[in-house]
Amino acid sequence: MAKKYIFPDRCLISFSLVGGLIITLTLLALLNMTVAELGDIPYLLKVASDAKVIDSIVLTMGAGVNAILILLLIGTPLAYVLARADFPGKGVVESLVDLPLMLPHTVAGILVYILFMSRGLLGAPLGEIGITFEDAYPGIVVAMLFVSSPYFINSVREGFEKVPVHLENVARTLGATRFQAFMRIVLPLSARHIFNGSVLAWGRAIGEFAAVIMIAYYPMVISTLIYYRFTTSGLKESSTVAFVMIIACFGAFLVLRFISRFMRRYDDRI
Amino acid sequence: MIEFEDVSLSLGRFSLNDISFRVDEGDYYFILGPSGAGKTVILEAIAGLHIPDSGRVLVRGEDVGDRPPEKRRLSLVYQDYSLFPHMTVFDNVAFGLRMQKCAKHEIRERVDDILDRFGMPPHFRERYPLTLSGGEQQRVALARSLVVNPEILLLDEPLSALDPLMREKFITDLHDLHHENGLTIVHVSHSRQEALALADHVAVIIDGSLKQEDTVEGVFNRPATEEVGRFVGIDNILRGRVAASRDGLMDVDVDGVTVSAVGSYPAGMELTLFLRGEDVMLFLSDGAVTSARNTLAGEITGISRMGAVVRLKTDCGIPLSVLITRQSCDDMGLCTGKKVLVRFKATSVHAVPVK
Repeated sequence: MAKKYIFPDRCLISFSLVGGLIITLTLLALLNMTVAELGDIPYLLKVASDAKVIDSIVLTMGAGVNAILILLLIGTPLAYVLARADFPGKGVVESLVDLPLMLPHTVAGILVYILFMSRGLLGAPLGEIGITFEDAYPGIVVAMLFVSSPYFINSVREGFEKVPVHLENVARTLGATRFQAFMRIVLPLSARHIFNGSVLAWGRAIGEFAAVIMIAYYPMVISTLIYYRFTTSGLKESSTVAFVMIIACFGAFLVLRFISRFMRRYDDRI
Repeated sequence: MIEFEDVSLSLGRFSLNDISFRVDEGDYYFILGPSGAGKTVILEAIAGLHIPDSGRVLVRGEDVGDRPPEKRRLSLVYQDYSLFPHMTVFDNVAFGLRMQKCAKHEIRERVDDILDRFGMPPHFRERYPLTLSGGEQQRVALARSLVVNPEILLLDEPLSALDPLMREKFITDLHDLHHENGLTIVHVSHSRQEALALADHVAVIIDGSLKQEDTVEGVFNRPATEEVGRFVGIDNILRGRVAASRDGLMDVDVDGVTVSAVGSYPAGMELTLFLRGEDVMLFLSDGAVTSARNTLAGEITGISRMGAVVRLKTDCGIPLSVLITRQSCDDMGLCTGKKVLVRFKATSVHAVPVK
């Protein structure tokens, strides 16, 4: 369907002006920084090619992807159950899913830490088989997983809810088991929601700082690195690292948006 | 073929209360009721998509209990057709066969066959459902449900989204399908016309309860309660008390007017009388009041034209609706205030005791 631009009326114009304030704020901050950073291009290039910075960005984004892959495996089934089933205590489960949204990040960090530290309830037995979380990559992933899970689960659940249950019912009377109906009908029709949920959760994961440093100060994710440079070398160095991260994120999200445009919309309802 | 034994089921704001009925093999069974009466829930319970809270569902004499829908050998077609929007017409129809793990060439053959039978040209096969018209979607949905050779076909308001011309055509199609294949069909709808055109047996469901189960003729001509009578569109529903009763004929007093009806309820009993508007004859009054049985003098109080027929409201001491053809209405030059005589047979009056 071709995009149709609506003729602006007074209401839309005044709403745009008010709403524009928030965009202006972001834009102003970005411009402010960009002007400062572009004033010293050689230094910017030096920081951008610093192996530590590149490693840290790759580590952050990689750990984020890792957390999302785990969420796809364990969050998707949960989202389906929440979308389709009513059971006693569902409200409690829903609150548990949403909990990381409301907790201060340091609290989330402490929760993750005491569970996965080397003496922790899960950290100790997993340490026995060689998976350590404290100051290690698995620690970063687990902290990211915890804080980003509600974004993923809620978005995917919404996608599942939008698939008419009649489609599943028809598939089942035609001989599909519930699992087959899920795989062939529900999953393909929710592809957009799953993708968008993953992007949202990934964005949340790579931005996490407090929860990550509590369990894994090293290896340094980008937030840790920026904070470290800020406290040891000052504003100039840390803001240049931050600028590089902004460019990287902007690029990544542009690519993801571009990909999502190729995901088909089959139905107005979905 | 299908039996409901005292089935109760509650589901959010819907509930079914103690429903029992029986669908025989090869029957065209109609579940008729107003919207929101729980009709779809009954179909879904037959399909195994809901498990009853109490009571039993038997299919082919066997308690299907918690047998999942995929093992019940029946097909379901919803009002919105529920075609899979991400699959082509071919893949939609092939879905059931793929689930049964049929061989590729067999799938192609059977899908092609059934699409031909439903008059879908070959280039339709690669189209997506959203590009099809309502009638075309309907045909694909029906083809998809029949290609797996079900023993029972469940139809949930399959005609309500079609325009009148398509609906006529589909009524013929369903009729042929039922007769050629001896398929057992359970059809849920609120439409009296569809029931009259298609049904062998009818169950009337109102507010989650079964109000009457009978042949289509029985439900439409001999409703069991006022509620059913109103729902099946009986024009005149009157209340009266038996004044005299002998030899299978009763004089019933309705607001001071005596109506003769067939039946042998004792004097003093309160009755509901049903009289169809098309069973009432209307004559121009020449002033003389005859004493013939069930001949009443009155005047026209309202005229509403409904295409080929005209509904006249008359006041004959009791209000009576009369259906006549447009032609007779025009020929007699009827208008409001005109004095008329109405006459109906005692056998046209169906009487049941007030509950």
